Amino acid sequence: MAEPVSRRSFLKAAILAPLMPALLAACRRADDKKVVNFFNWSNYIGKDTLPEFTKRTGVAVRYDLFADEDEMFTKLRAGARGYDLIVVGDYLIPRFKSMNLIEPVPAGTLKNLGNLGPRFRRPVYDPDETTVPYLWGTTGIAYNKKKIKKAPTSWHDLWDPQYKDRVSMLDNVRDCISVAMQLLKIPQTTRDPEDFRKIRELLVKQKPLVKQYSSASYLNSLVAGEIDLAMTWSGDLFQTARENPDLDYVIPKEGTYMWVDCLAMMRGARHRADTLRLIDYLLEPSVAAGIANSVRYATPNLAAQKEVDKTLLKDPRVYPTPALMKQLQLHHVLDSEQSELWSQTWADVKVA
Amino acid sequence: MGRALSWLLGGRRPLASHLLLAPASLWLIFLLIIPAGGLILLSFAKNGAYGAIVWEFGLHNYARAFDPKYLPVIFRTLAFGAATTALCLILGYPLAYYLVFRAGRWRNALLIGLMVPFWSSCLVAYYSWMIVLGKEGLLNTAMIRFGFLSEPIGFLYTPFAILLGLVYFYLPFTVLPLYASLDKVPRSVIEAAYDLGAGRWTAFWKVTLPLSLPGVVAGCILTFIPCLGDFLTVEILGGPRYYLLGNLISNQFMMAQDWPFGSALTSLLLAGLVGGLWLYQRWEKA
Repeated sequence: MAEPVSRRSFLKAAILAPLMPALLAACRRADDKKVVNFFNWSNYIGKDTLPEFTKRTGVAVRYDLFADEDEMFTKLRAGARGYDLIVVGDYLIPRFKSMNLIEPVPAGTLKNLGNLGPRFRRPVYDPDETTVPYLWGTTGIAYNKKKIKKAPTSWHDLWDPQYKDRVSMLDNVRDCISVAMQLLKIPQTTRDPEDFRKIRELLVKQKPLVKQYSSASYLNSLVAGEIDLAMTWSGDLFQTARENPDLDYVIPKEGTYMWVDCLAMMRGARHRADTLRLIDYLLEPSVAAGIANSVRYATPNLAAQKEVDKTLLKDPRVYPTPALMKQLQLHHVLDSEQSELWSQTWADVKVA
Repeated sequence: MGRALSWLLGGRRPLASHLLLAPASLWLIFLLIIPAGGLILLSFAKNGAYGAIVWEFGLHNYARAFDPKYLPVIFRTLAFGAATTALCLILGYPLAYYLVFRAGRWRNALLIGLMVPFWSSCLVAYYSWMIVLGKEGLLNTAMIRFGFLSEPIGFLYTPFAILLGLVYFYLPFTVLPLYASLDKVPRSVIEAAYDLGAGRWTAFWKVTLPLSLPGVVAGCILTFIPCLGDFLTVEILGGPRYYLLGNLISNQFMMAQDWPFGSALTSLLLAGLVGGLWLYQRWEKA
């Protein structure tokens, strides 16, 4: 039985109740002032990066994670408000711009922008520098050295029937369609339905070998021996290889794609000044180097490179040599019609 | 509108009944009728550039939904739903029977035990199953240790893992209605059967089972219907070749950015379910 409300507790409540709006308002004010809401990929920042920022500036960072870009986009589209800063892949930037989701970083507000390498300034996917490059990497093949005797060298190895049920592919339109295009020597600018039919066929042909389409949980599967060969993003594999040193990363001989993840300010961000402060902080050489050393992706920050671990800096799979760099291409910036063709083809592969 | 609302709120009954009905009516209006209406409206819209919604109405999304390439997905979904329901019934009936007639003073403790998995999210439960079913998981390790296997078996990402996850999650949905209807079977009727010379089996077949049939039907409906919309199980435990209707729908929203088409698929599923239940009710009354 519930106890009847005692007079004392009633009085307490009666006294506190009028204070509630004031308390709430105080919380709101605190919220308006000293916080930045940051939406980022999981495992994509240094351990001390954000605490150090808070210590230095007094601005707290509310950090929220996603493991899938499409899901992140859906969440923002569906009206998730309140994020100030997000990380968005180069190929998504035109879509974010066209849907008015992001706001340009005002020119001249970032004093550390000059630290970026020249090839990351005014890039094709974002010529007006609405966003700020954060990290970059490549898509390649991960394999377990103990279980796969002959190291993979080509994307074709992901189609090799002897690896049936031991393969995983990234659950991502951009990467899977791009690789199929590379194998079929189809240019990314295509709009020909016949090309997309061929792409679909190639990916469907691979399906019986594929154990998982996954962009995050396959890393656990690799460690646990559930799969032995995977399409992967460079840094994710290097991070995972700390747990299982048998794992290694290969850039296929056909070449591959490089992608750049960028910091973008959300339209209508409530904490603009502090968001810009955080972006500027992330561009500081020692901060950028700290992040790069921890997540093992490459930093576009040229000034940071002298503080990057020597082993990483010398690894051509993280910081490619100029010769290898020529084999890396950026994803073509798709217009909405192409974007639709890519998505439809991928959806058809999943349903087949 | 005003009249419709007043009807929803209890018509010309006394004020008290209006007030008593209000929470349920408001719940239905705001959390069922308005969202479902929005969904149906969206299903007639067009998909624009980068997944923007264009409000030009037509039946094109429905036409696309009847593409034969989706047939295997529909059959697979129905098959998994039926198999899950059947397994839940086979496992659940003896369980409910035991709880009602045999468990004695353990009855409440066991009933709570049945509910315990619901105290955590099914996401957590499925991840725990991954630890059990993995190649280096508990099941494989134990079977190899005791000599039943020499090589680990890949249980994960198979139909077996999907079915296990579904049965694990939906079993209480079958057991609880069964429990409720078995509990209502009057003991005196069963005793009368014994007095009239029926054996245990005869009494069960002729008395207990027929009287518990409403629970069987309710349990099957409560299991089968949510199964048809399930996508998480396949996403976590199932491989790429066992794509279900729920995954198809979730992919339209999450990946393909084609919300109108996803809404059309959802509306069709909804219509199928409502139609099915309506037919069942008519059949039951007849």
